Amino acid sequence: MFNHQIQPVMELAVELVIYGFLMGLVFALIALGLSLIFGVMNIVNFAHGEFLMVGMYIAFILSSYLHLDPLFSLPVAALAGYLLGMMSYYFLIHHILRGPMVAQLFGTFGLMLFLRYLAMFIFTPDVRSINQGILVGKTLSFGWMTFDISKMMAACLSLLLFALVYIMINRTKLGRALRATSLDAEAARYMGIDTKKMNALAWGIGGATVAISGALLAHFYYVTPTVGMLFTLIAFATVALGGFGSISGAFLAGIIIGLIMVLSGQFVSELKFTFIYLAFFLTVVFRPRGLFGW
Amino acid sequence: MNKVLQVLRDIFSFADRPRTEWIGFIIFVVIILIFPWLVKSSYARSVMIKFLLFALFGLGWNLIGGYGGQVDLGQAKNVGFGAYATALMIVWWKIPFWLTVIPGMIFATAESFAVAYPMFRLRGHYFAIATLCVALVWKELFVFWDWTGGARGVEIPIMPTPDFAYMQFGSAIYYHYFIFFLFITQLLFMNWFRKSKLGYDLQAVRDNEEAAASLGINVTNTKVRAYCITAALGAIGGSFMAVYYLYIDPDFVMPLDLSILIAMTVMVGGAGSIWGPILGAAVLIPLDMYLGAWLGAQKRLGIDFMIYAMIMMIIAAREPKGIWGIFERIRRKRMR
Repeated sequence: MFNHQIQPVMELAVELVIYGFLMGLVFALIALGLSLIFGVMNIVNFAHGEFLMVGMYIAFILSSYLHLDPLFSLPVAALAGYLLGMMSYYFLIHHILRGPMVAQLFGTFGLMLFLRYLAMFIFTPDVRSINQGILVGKTLSFGWMTFDISKMMAACLSLLLFALVYIMINRTKLGRALRATSLDAEAARYMGIDTKKMNALAWGIGGATVAISGALLAHFYYVTPTVGMLFTLIAFATVALGGFGSISGAFLAGIIIGLIMVLSGQFVSELKFTFIYLAFFLTVVFRPRGLFGW
Repeated sequence: MNKVLQVLRDIFSFADRPRTEWIGFIIFVVIILIFPWLVKSSYARSVMIKFLLFALFGLGWNLIGGYGGQVDLGQAKNVGFGAYATALMIVWWKIPFWLTVIPGMIFATAESFAVAYPMFRLRGHYFAIATLCVALVWKELFVFWDWTGGARGVEIPIMPTPDFAYMQFGSAIYYHYFIFFLFITQLLFMNWFRKSKLGYDLQAVRDNEEAAASLGINVTNTKVRAYCITAALGAIGGSFMAVYYLYIDPDFVMPLDLSILIAMTVMVGGAGSIWGPILGAAVLIPLDMYLGAWLGAQKRLGIDFMIYAMIMMIIAAREPKGIWGIFERIRRKRMR
């Protein structure tokens, strides 16, 4: 009797935890760019989720107008995100970096609004989704558990990309220059590092990674012009939890946020994002350095 | 007695500002007063009311955002508290409008006080994000709860006859003068505030926190008090919105866009100056209404906000002090 009742609960719990873990890996990739940008130049990018939306729309355009599989959109999205990040840096961020904090905030906020309403102008506010592709809508079963292949693929690719960027930052010469800039920009400049280029690079990498995660999310998440704000906040929550500027922190925090979202969504589905905001608020308030911050 | 006179002088005197400024202000007041008699178009009147409403919001936000230098991106939650307090009390218990304003202000202040202490452990970007999050949590809760009407919102029933107690009139002129009255009251309050002890403390904290603390100013306390006053001021405008529009829902009175627009009127006009929010609202609201009307006909969404965003980015990059900053710079040049 007892066993009979507990079994489905356990099965559900295991399934939810695995699902939360998978989502968490995607969130970690989303948060990576934000954390990197903050680490290198101490600026919070409010337009982060909008970069993700750009990635989603690229996947959508390629799949519904050019009839390409959304998987092909990943490199396109990466390139677009890289260029978008670079352009944002050279045309906007570079000019507001020396200004007061309020101006920085409003600058990236303006960028966010601009991208969001540009998307609304071009694509109208309609909710869209991708409904064709090798992996779209397919499921895979392990015993009692069933998973969307697209979600598993998104999680695996996110993990892979995260690892690549992590290695790039920690093992290559370019990565060392980036880290030097984030530790002390002035000293880095004396050592002959072109910090302006490093800042632009951080924006480029940030834009590319988040646009790829957008293209991955588009496989199973609806696309609207206003979707960005939600992911901006998820990324903020993740980065705050992991510690601003800490990349390995962002990874662990991404998984925690994924679990919070999935588990709370199971019980009060209307409030699943509220719990993320609350978790974010509580971390920011009680441990501003984040769980793994320095 | 002397003290009372001093306070009265602080409230009504603009003597520390150059004479051109307050002469310009008197002309502005006269224009607003005769506006409903000159312009008969109900659309133009609604633009004017919206302008005064946002100038009111801007004046309130300027306290924390301009004089305090703390970017609060959650002012819409206070607007929502005011609007919901008024609407729900009128719908449930038929309490006259005038008695619902104060409870709304008290609730907004109490809520702000509750979240302010932990939040002011943060500075700059972190503080801004935290305010944004709190406002979003409240909005989602108001959508989720049934007793607030959920996403459907609250509708205030229309009275059969014009009723002063519930602020229902046949003509927009009354609303025009009422919001103008609120606006002038708030402007005079701000005029007093900027010369009060708290006002000076707040500006000192904004300019240099460490220096202010070393002079014996309790930094956190000052910020918390300013934050609570801002919340109360936002709730007044919210109460007006409820009786003016007669229908409110969380997407109308507490969205993030409203918080941004309020902060933007102040930023565009010039944060931390008494006239800045008025200038900002005078630029943004007619632009908004014009674009809305024009683009509504074009069936193209988003251009208005794209133009906003461009203004925002240009101001952030080129003129962080806003329109008022340009005026000040011209004046300084002329004095030299």
